[in-house]
Amino acid sequence: MLIELKDVNKTYNNGQPLHVLKGINLGIDSGEFVSIMGASGSGKSTLLNIIGILDNYDTGEYYIDGRLIKNLTEKQAADYRNRMIGFIFQSFNLISFKTAVENVELPLFYQGVSRHKRHEMAMQFLDRLGLADWAGHYPNEMSGGQKQRVAIARALITQPKIILADEPTGALDSKTSEEVMQLLGQLNKEDGVTIIVVTHESGVANCTDKIVHIKDGIIGNIEDNREHRASVFGTSTIMK
Amino acid sequence: MRLDVDTYREIADSLVRNKSRSLLTGFGVFWGIFMLLFLLGGGQGLKQLITANFEGFATNTAIIVADRTTKPWKGMKEGRNWYMTYTDVERLKSMVPELETVTPVVSHWGQEVVNGTNTVNGNIKGVYADYCMIEEPRLKYGRYINEADVAQERKVCVIGKRIYTSIFPDGGDPCGSMIKVGPVFYQVIGVDYSSGNISINGSADESVVIPLPVVQKVYHDGDNIELICVTGRSGIKISSLEDRIRQIMARKHNYDPTDKDALFVMNTEQIFSIMDNLFTGLNFLILLVGLGTILAGVIGVSNIMMVTVKERTTEIGIRRAIGATPRDILSQIIMESISLTLVAGSFGIVFAVLLLNLLETIVNARPDASPVDFQVSFWTAVIAALLLTVLGVIAGMAPASRAMSIKPVDAMRDE
Repeated sequence: MLIELKDVNKTYNNGQPLHVLKGINLGIDSGEFVSIMGASGSGKSTLLNIIGILDNYDTGEYYIDGRLIKNLTEKQAADYRNRMIGFIFQSFNLISFKTAVENVELPLFYQGVSRHKRHEMAMQFLDRLGLADWAGHYPNEMSGGQKQRVAIARALITQPKIILADEPTGALDSKTSEEVMQLLGQLNKEDGVTIIVVTHESGVANCTDKIVHIKDGIIGNIEDNREHRASVFGTSTIMK
Repeated sequence: MRLDVDTYREIADSLVRNKSRSLLTGFGVFWGIFMLLFLLGGGQGLKQLITANFEGFATNTAIIVADRTTKPWKGMKEGRNWYMTYTDVERLKSMVPELETVTPVVSHWGQEVVNGTNTVNGNIKGVYADYCMIEEPRLKYGRYINEADVAQERKVCVIGKRIYTSIFPDGGDPCGSMIKVGPVFYQVIGVDYSSGNISINGSADESVVIPLPVVQKVYHDGDNIELICVTGRSGIKISSLEDRIRQIMARKHNYDPTDKDALFVMNTEQIFSIMDNLFTGLNFLILLVGLGTILAGVIGVSNIMMVTVKERTTEIGIRRAIGATPRDILSQIIMESISLTLVAGSFGIVFAVLLLNLLETIVNARPDASPVDFQVSFWTAVIAALLLTVLGVIAGMAPASRAMSIKPVDAMRDE
C-alpha cells in the first residue's frame, strides 16, 4: 500500500466544533488512478489536505509508503511534500510574477538543485507537456488549460510518487477539462504515477479507475471503474 | 538560506514590482540615515569651528583681576579699591609651587600704530617672555619677546595680524623695520598670526606686544598691574588652586578671604568644561534625533512588509505547499527587508557624505580660516551600514513571523 489511512478523524474547532472526518479508512496502491467524490462539505478537501500533509489530523494513523505521517516538524512536512507529493490546484496557483519555466523550477529550487540543472529539467517537462514555446510567458498570458498544464509540469518535476489534484478541472471548460484528465490518465499509465483527484463532477471521476465516494465525513462505497462506465451523463464526455 | 542567483533576483523582483511603494518606504530610511550622518558631521564641524576660537590658548589657565571689595574687613568698609603689584607675582610663584607660570600683563588701549603713511589703532600689551605659555603665538615672521628683551628693556614689538596687514599693505617680512606706537618707536621683531578669539585685554589680532618693563616706563604705570595669568603644572587642576590663590591675595591686601567678588578669577578650565558639556549635550541630541528618524523609517519598512506579506498570502502558501520550509520563507522576507533598508540607507550615506563634503568646501573657502573637518569618518559610515543591516533584520522580524504562520492550506482557500 502506498497510501494507508486508518481511522482518521479530524475536527475543526472554529467556534462550533465541526467533526469533518469521522474515521476514514482508505488504502491506495502504487500506480492507482483514484478519484474522491463527494458533495461540498463532505470532507473531501480536508481528506486531500491530510493526504497531502498540508493539514494535521486528530486521531488515527496515516502512512505513506509505510512511513507514519504524524507530528511532523514543519521542515519534515515541507520536505515530504516536496519529494513525495505533487499538487495540482483548481485555481492553478501559479506564481503570477514568475514565468512558466520559473514556476516549474520552483520545487527544485527548494530542493537545492543547481540553477542550470533545474532549468534544464523544467524545460524538459514543459516540452513533454507541449509548452516549450510558452516557457518564457507569464501565467496571465496563457489560457486556463495551458496554466493547468504548467501546474502539472510543476507537480511532476520532482518525480513524486503521488499526484494530488484538487478539482483540477474546476476552472476549465469541458474540452480542456477532458484534455487535462486525459493527460493525467496518460501520466498514470505511462509513468505509473499514483494520482488522486478530488472532484464533485461525476464526469471527471469517471475518467479515473477507482471512485471513492465520501459523504458527511465517512467513506461510502468504493467503485471499481476500470470500465469507465460510472458517469450518469454517459461515457463519451465530461459533463459540466 | 539558499545562496543562489535566483534568491537575489527574486528579492530584486519583489522590491521592483512595487516601485513607488518601495521608493516611499525606502525614503524614510534614507532620510533617517542621512539626518544622522549629516547632523553628526555638522556637529563635529561646528565643534571644530568653535574650538578654533580657543586656538593657542592654554586650557589650564586662570586670569586673576583685582576688583572692588564687597565685604567689610577689619574695620574697613566694603567697596574699597585695591591693586595687585609685582610682588604678588613673586608671592604666588613661591607660595603656590603647583603653578607653572605666573605672569602679569599690562595694557594700554587705543594706541595709534604708524608705519610711514599707514596708520591703525591697536592695543599695547606689556608682557614677560613667559606670556607665550598662556597665549601661544603663531608666528608668521620673526620671533616672540624673549628674556633678553625684558632684561635689557629693548624697544621691540610683536604685532598682530590686523596691525600687520594694515600698516604693511605690501606684505613681506617686516622684521627690523621701525614702527611708531603711541609716542615711541619700536623695532618689529615678529608677526603673530594667532587667530584665536579668546582675548586677554584685547585680541591678539590687534595687539602690539612689547616687553613689560618698557610699557611700564613709557606709560608711567608704577607698581600696579591689571591682571595676572597663571597656568597649573600638568596634571593639576587650576580650580583646585583657586582657593589658595584667593587666601594669599586676601591676606596680603587686607580684604575678607571669603569675599569672592574682590578677586575676579576667570578659569578657562571651567569654560572648556562648559563647552565640553554643551557638545556632549548636542551630540546626545543629534543621536536622539537621528536615531529617532531612522527608527521611524524602519517602522515604516516593517509596516509595509506586513502589508506585502498579507498580499502575498497565496504565493507564500503555494511555496509552502510545494516544499518551502518555514526557514525559506523567513529568510526570504528578512532578506527583502534588509535589502530595502540597506539600499535606501546606502543612498542616505552617500548623500550625507556628498553634502558634508560640499559644506566642508564652502566653510573652508573662508579666507585665512583654519580648515574645519565636517566629514564623518569611514568607520562611522561602516557602523551606520551595520546598523542598517541590524535594523533591517529587526524590521523584517514581525512580517516574517507572520509569513511563517501562513499555512499551505491557506493558498487553496484563497480563491
